[in-house]
Amino acid sequence: MILLFIGLGMVVSAAVAALVVRGDALRDRVFATLVVAGAGLASVPAFRVLGGAGHLAARWPSGLPGGDLSIGIDPLSAVFLLAALAVGAANAVYGAADMRAGATARISRQANAAYAVLVVTLALVVTAQSVLLFLSAWEMMAISSFLLIMTDHHQAHVRRAGFIYLVATHTGTLLLFVMFAVWSRGAADWSFASLAAARPTLMWGGGPLFLLALAGFGVKAGFVPLHFWLPPAHAASPSHVSALMSGIVIKTGIYGILRVVMLAGAPPAWWAWIVLLLGALSAVLGVLWALAQHDIKRLLAYHSVENIGIILIGIGLGALGTAYHHPMLAILGYGAAVLHTVNHALFKSLLFMSAGAVYRMTSTCNMEELGGIAPRMPITFAVFLVGSIAIIGVPPLNGFVSEWLVFQGLFRAGYSSSALRIALLGAPILALVGGLALACFAKAAGVVFLGRPRSARPLAAREVGPAFLFPQLALAAICVAIGLMPAAILRPFLFVGATIAGEPQAQLATAWADVAPDAQHIAVFATALLLVAAVIWAGRRLVLHRRSVRSDATWSSGYGATTSRMQYTASSFAAPLLSVFGPLTGVQEHRGATVFHSVPRDLILDRVVAPLWAYVRRSALRLRPIQDGRLHFYLVYVVATVLAFLTYLVVTQ
Amino acid sequence: MNITPSSAIAFILVLLIAPAVAGVATRTKSVLTGRQGAPALQLYFDLWKLVRRGAVFSETTTWVFRLAPAAMVATTVLAATLLPLDGRMSFIRFSGDAVAFAYVLGLGRFLLVLAALDTGSSFEGMGASREVTFASLVEVGLFLSFGTLVVVTRELSLSGMLGMPFAHHWAANAPALVMISIGLFALLLAECSRVPVDDPSTHLELTMVHEVMVLDHSGPDLALILYGSALKLAVLGALVVSVLIPRGGLPAAGSLAVLGGGLLAIGVGVGIVEATMARLRLPKVALYLAGASSLALFSLILVLWTPA
Repeated sequence: MILLFIGLGMVVSAAVAALVVRGDALRDRVFATLVVAGAGLASVPAFRVLGGAGHLAARWPSGLPGGDLSIGIDPLSAVFLLAALAVGAANAVYGAADMRAGATARISRQANAAYAVLVVTLALVVTAQSVLLFLSAWEMMAISSFLLIMTDHHQAHVRRAGFIYLVATHTGTLLLFVMFAVWSRGAADWSFASLAAARPTLMWGGGPLFLLALAGFGVKAGFVPLHFWLPPAHAASPSHVSALMSGIVIKTGIYGILRVVMLAGAPPAWWAWIVLLLGALSAVLGVLWALAQHDIKRLLAYHSVENIGIILIGIGLGALGTAYHHPMLAILGYGAAVLHTVNHALFKSLLFMSAGAVYRMTSTCNMEELGGIAPRMPITFAVFLVGSIAIIGVPPLNGFVSEWLVFQGLFRAGYSSSALRIALLGAPILALVGGLALACFAKAAGVVFLGRPRSARPLAAREVGPAFLFPQLALAAICVAIGLMPAAILRPFLFVGATIAGEPQAQLATAWADVAPDAQHIAVFATALLLVAAVIWAGRRLVLHRRSVRSDATWSSGYGATTSRMQYTASSFAAPLLSVFGPLTGVQEHRGATVFHSVPRDLILDRVVAPLWAYVRRSALRLRPIQDGRLHFYLVYVVATVLAFLTYLVVTQ
Repeated sequence: MNITPSSAIAFILVLLIAPAVAGVATRTKSVLTGRQGAPALQLYFDLWKLVRRGAVFSETTTWVFRLAPAAMVATTVLAATLLPLDGRMSFIRFSGDAVAFAYVLGLGRFLLVLAALDTGSSFEGMGASREVTFASLVEVGLFLSFGTLVVVTRELSLSGMLGMPFAHHWAANAPALVMISIGLFALLLAECSRVPVDDPSTHLELTMVHEVMVLDHSGPDLALILYGSALKLAVLGALVVSVLIPRGGLPAAGSLAVLGGGLLAIGVGVGIVEATMARLRLPKVALYLAGASSLALFSLILVLWTPA
């Protein structure tokens, strides 16, 4: 436990170093080293907990209402802590280099300091064991990420994105305040342990509380229809901030939901069905809207909505498992959700970093202006491809392992005898999501990196430096390792799943005995895939070695004067698939004799949230006259309020 | 890995006769439409010719273009290792391997689509766009069919579903199994770029789907793609045959004979469809796939609501 504090202390000192150390190169090196070393130290206790060392805890008397401040690492905290530290460290190295290449010294110092603070608050959010500490860390996380989103605040769209984020996150926090306030009425103090003990005092079996938690944490997690802040915020932030936001910050919403499930005990079945339904909705709409985007960072942001959906399907399955007394399903569902959370943190950060490298070189995120980057930035392209293959969930990478686990849960639910089997209908939905994700990343990788440059911007692109590439290569290596050796990592995740579900050790052993051989076979399958591909590749090389090989122009039916404008674009590639789904996609198409392009709209933000906000603003303006700045009116208000309270007291006694 | 002599022979059989299945389809079409046509074994000669040729690569292309054909064959071969081709047991078997079956084919498709975009050709971009459109709709029907099989057999692996005791499930669930067999055959036509979704013999780039994606491949790479496509037809054909004709009770030799015969019958079926139908207009293809998926959906509803 002491290592956690030393590690986090080092990350805090990195924030200080970012502000005070003189000399740009030295400052960045000190900052990155401190964050990476601190994250390394802080992760040691998390590894020990996942290895089965029992829970770690520490508490301090605070003198504040609500009792002691306490911090602890249980398996659920440990796995989120590890993800936060790993992704946080990788992005610190990348971010320092990226900010130095693209921002003024002053802005990059502030951004680095805020970044280190964000990493520390993330670690606190997932380890806090009392309400006060949790909510403080939650709020500091919201504010430091707001500051990071606003890094380029001289641009209007960035300010708008930051504002939408601030409103959304505080609405969510407000709901959390209500939830914890209601919950703690029957509890001895505000520690999580007391809340868990107060379980029997909850109204209607805790049903309203689960809904509050789902909504409050859901705003952060960003599932449909609460995702509206997410794409603009991700597009506005610097790349490494988008990477950390998408990888970890939105996952604290998932952490919160899982923590509430653990503390409040088994959720009712209707809640589980709601989560499953929201998950399916988020997954399908998220990937569909991603397909419609032509800004690479917005595209990746909508994919986070999709992946949150897949994680929710896992959580829903886990909750159904508890509700219908199917321990295997509970462990598999929660385990799959947590594994997919970690996997998504890895490959989504990776993708944001490579997309950010392209942005750094070309100064645009608009896919319609890109193309032909692959020969200019070969390593960036290779890691982006690894990230793409991981995120579409195909073998042999880590995305497959967690999606396979979710499918396992769906199939197992399918042949149970209770109403649970209707959950099987999630399988074709998840398969559709997989197919759409494949289309979407074929578009992203193909249009950004391949073909011919669609404007002059990609012409100047050169491979980025090692400080950009090493963090990406490290994350890519973890993705490959999980994909090729799932047996080594599945057990801790099932352990976490069993902890969330509250299943005893014996059930975990049964589940593991069932899954372990499958994991071995997936490893064999993945390895065999690589081997067969290598053999065919070698055979092809051998055959071609003795033949004439030459290069020529791309086949164009003998026309011979093709230009890069004749290529398929991001708009046209996605058009046939989007047309199948009609108005659900929210795109507007513009067709002319020489142009075709589509403009994506966010149905929730533009059709629901923005009009609602305009209405709130109009109503608020109507209240304006009561605030006219004259002191005697304010005195009247104060007196009236006091009188109202006094009357209330008199009446109630 | 569990390699038995019969499964190894079945595996090699599928790898070897795959080009003939495609050839039988072409031959059937020629006979039915009263044309001379190419011999059934034409594809073997084509492959042999292409392997001995050199290659021309587009100047725009990168290593993805060169990797994709090899990867496509590798992924299809790996998909074959998951099917119980001898009617008993696959090489690799695990719970939920149906997911791996569909997704590993997805990996091959993903790389082939990227190879098409790699050329910077508008034709190939068009083919790639159409390919991913149809493929993502095919997944729905495929997983509805897998779901039906899971519920019927209460097994999670393809070997468990389609292996030994599969025959007696036919007695209780014949309507559902007939429906998914028809649905799977319809999906096979789409997945393997056959009429009514795509026409392998068209000569106009604008009307192509799969063929236009691979315009720029030549020599051994084109051979790999042609073989990979044929193998995909054979592997998906083997899936349809396994659902339609349970072979678990037969002796090994009989099971292999049924597999071989079944695959050739699939080829004949594809040929009959090609001879009797025109391809659909592209916007209608989504409806066709929805139809195939709803067959599978009805069968799933049927088995889910039947008391166990």
